[in-house]
Amino acid sequence: MIRVRFLLLAALLVFVGCSDGGSNTSAEKEVKSVKKTAEKTKDTPVNGDAFVSSSLGDATGLIYNITSDSASHDVAAKIYNGLVEYDKDLKIIGDLAESWDITEEGKVIVFHLKKDVKWHDGHPFTSADVEFTYKFMIDDKTPTSYDADFRLVKSFEVIDEYTVKITYDEPFAPALISWSMAVLPKHLLEGNDVTKSPLLREPVGTGPYKFKEWKAGESITLVANDDYFKGRPYIDRLITRVIPDTATTFLELLNGAIDMAGLTPLQWTRQIDTNQQFQNQYDKYKYLSFGYTYVGYNHTKKPFNDKRVRQALTYATPKKDIVKGILFDLGVPAHGPFKPGTLWYNDDVKKYDYNPEKAKELLAEAGWTDSNGDGILDKNGKNFEFELMTNQGNTVRTKICETLQQSWEKIGVKVDIRVLEWATFINEYVDKQKFDALVLGWNITNDPDLYDVWHSSNCGGRKLNFICYKNEELDKLIVEGRKEFDPEKRKLFYHKAQEMLAEDQPYTFLYVPYSLVAVSNRFENVYSAPAGITHNQDKWWVKKENQKYHFEP
Amino acid sequence: MVKSRILSKVNGNILFFSGLIIVLLFVFVAAFAPYIATHDPTYIDFDSVFLPPSAVHYFGTDDLGRDVFSRVIYGSRISLFVGFVAVGISLAIGVLLGLVAGYFGGFADTVIMRFVDVMLCFPAFFLILAVIAFLNPSMFNVMAIIGLTGWMGVTRLVRAEVLSVKTRDYIVSAKVQGLPVWLILSKHILPNVFTPIFVTATLGVAGAILTESSLSFLGLGVQPPTPSWGNILTAGKDNIMFAWWLSFFPGIAIFITVLGYNLLGEGVRDILDPKS
Repeated sequence: MIRVRFLLLAALLVFVGCSDGGSNTSAEKEVKSVKKTAEKTKDTPVNGDAFVSSSLGDATGLIYNITSDSASHDVAAKIYNGLVEYDKDLKIIGDLAESWDITEEGKVIVFHLKKDVKWHDGHPFTSADVEFTYKFMIDDKTPTSYDADFRLVKSFEVIDEYTVKITYDEPFAPALISWSMAVLPKHLLEGNDVTKSPLLREPVGTGPYKFKEWKAGESITLVANDDYFKGRPYIDRLITRVIPDTATTFLELLNGAIDMAGLTPLQWTRQIDTNQQFQNQYDKYKYLSFGYTYVGYNHTKKPFNDKRVRQALTYATPKKDIVKGILFDLGVPAHGPFKPGTLWYNDDVKKYDYNPEKAKELLAEAGWTDSNGDGILDKNGKNFEFELMTNQGNTVRTKICETLQQSWEKIGVKVDIRVLEWATFINEYVDKQKFDALVLGWNITNDPDLYDVWHSSNCGGRKLNFICYKNEELDKLIVEGRKEFDPEKRKLFYHKAQEMLAEDQPYTFLYVPYSLVAVSNRFENVYSAPAGITHNQDKWWVKKENQKYHFEP
Repeated sequence: MVKSRILSKVNGNILFFSGLIIVLLFVFVAAFAPYIATHDPTYIDFDSVFLPPSAVHYFGTDDLGRDVFSRVIYGSRISLFVGFVAVGISLAIGVLLGLVAGYFGGFADTVIMRFVDVMLCFPAFFLILAVIAFLNPSMFNVMAIIGLTGWMGVTRLVRAEVLSVKTRDYIVSAKVQGLPVWLILSKHILPNVFTPIFVTATLGVAGAILTESSLSFLGLGVQPPTPSWGNILTAGKDNIMFAWWLSFFPGIAIFITVLGYNLLGEGVRDILDPKS
């Protein structure tokens, strides 16, 4: 639920996602969910059992306001609440806030907080905790990367114990969801250095699960919070096991040792269909993920600053073949930075169907011809060759690079591939803008704001517009879009923005992959929604006779 | 007669012959790769991914629809090249330092041999991994690094041989006649320490091929799309549960080639060893 984007290391292991894309599997699931709804009317949920999941890395700290790894986020999200959250249809609903009023054309938000909410240690939750969290987020000493939205707040007033008033300089549409940030306990943290607080290891929140045990590098165990203000979750324990490699994770899944895992397209299409043991134990869920993969061009370098060159490269990119051959059709070609099927997505933009002849024409127009007959285009005596970079450990991206190398060679563009270790790649090449072109992925956030990645002010080292795309008209649209609260009016800004991006091709947008998830079939009430699959995990439960783990009360 | 004794040993040595045949075959395949391969080893064809071995694709196809047979054939070039260049580098360094340390002794010997000890303290493979992390992975870096981290054994061996050879009468005689040092080293000592060098070099090629495959397997060696046995295996690892041919054929290729060099090395040692 964090608005800030982060670079996706493994685009195929994303859980958050959206509704089904309409296929055999989704049909299967529909039948199943109908059956389950019918069962639900007969059976009342019971408490018990545990849910075991896996994480590639150990969490760094369980206060996710100051961590940026997904392992910490996934665990801590069960321990804390924000003021608001997304529901299963991605509408914003109250979490710790009972209700809110937006006044003065969006410049002021007044939150009315829920009463009778208690921290895990029994201390009551009040507006003082919210104020503390706000001050913590904008404190220069706080090592957080999520402060940008909170710095736009002009004033923060505590009206009474259960009311806060927040004022902005100008209307800011993403403001409301920025308050989904975890609220921290003032009575335990005030006056302490949070980076050294014991709460990083033994957190205290208001959420559905309480912290129990953390074996470093091994597992983190949470237990159900009996006093949770939305009602006790049914599953007794959540156990997150650290399994540092995807192949082992998959084997553990086949052995039934973990209850949920993301699958790769290969595992999905070739490895589990024939495995009877797997079929008996798991349900498969498939939905378009909130992320896309792209080729980014460095606009500070020639010839990528020429629109015709970028358009030509897109024309010479076989998106459909990539989706078919590398993703086994478990994805859809992308044409812009939004997810197909959402309100913000505009399908009516210029699409570049694979057309190498057209690509050659455009390059010739831009002055690139093969004048010396060596098979590589040249201009002013310089050959058109460049380096295409990506990170190690993601075989899908390496395969994309190899595919692009071959198809661009056909139009006379020579590409050298360089696959770099993640940290080196980001710190030494991306952040320092020392690249020609790269293959990477972005998360797609629920809020359509494009400021971080596309606004020209974010061009530069360590910023997210590292390709340095600059378009004044787009800048205006982005700024206007942030001021409009009505989604129906707001979407028009982003539809126009997508038309511009399609025309300019600052990236070659490649595809939006499916999230492929296996969940143990002993859990009831599991279904995918626009918000993904774990949106209602508090309400999952296991029938008495199916319960696998038992705990002494 | 020394010559006939060696010949008779050659005749009866199965190790030597099987090794020699494998190595010659391997060199032949590498040299004539374009004529043996049935497909372009880097041609991507999404219509034929993961095809099992057949009359069209002898070793099947990989995750991008490339012909595994052709990739293995072309991969032999990389292995051969990396093996020879890396061993060449380590021989050049090792022989030179070994000659100097053994012949001159004293301070030079102490310094060189302590340096050898220091280099041997690092686990070789991790040293290579660390160096690769600083440089960029590429075929030339891999060859250079394998060579630069593999000369210590050669140095020790050459030094030991030189120590025994330099006390022989013909060396003393050469010294008395006032021959320059470089001539003594190159004309009289080097030819007489050649046997162990040849054996080590042969075994070294096998080691270098294995190291290159391991590095490429980890993604730190030869970069795509150039086929090398190691990086073909990487694709195999992810898909081993249903596409056995991706791991099997490059694995067999590595196995046979390394075996060939080892047999050849052992065979040569047996033949040239006067005690056997």
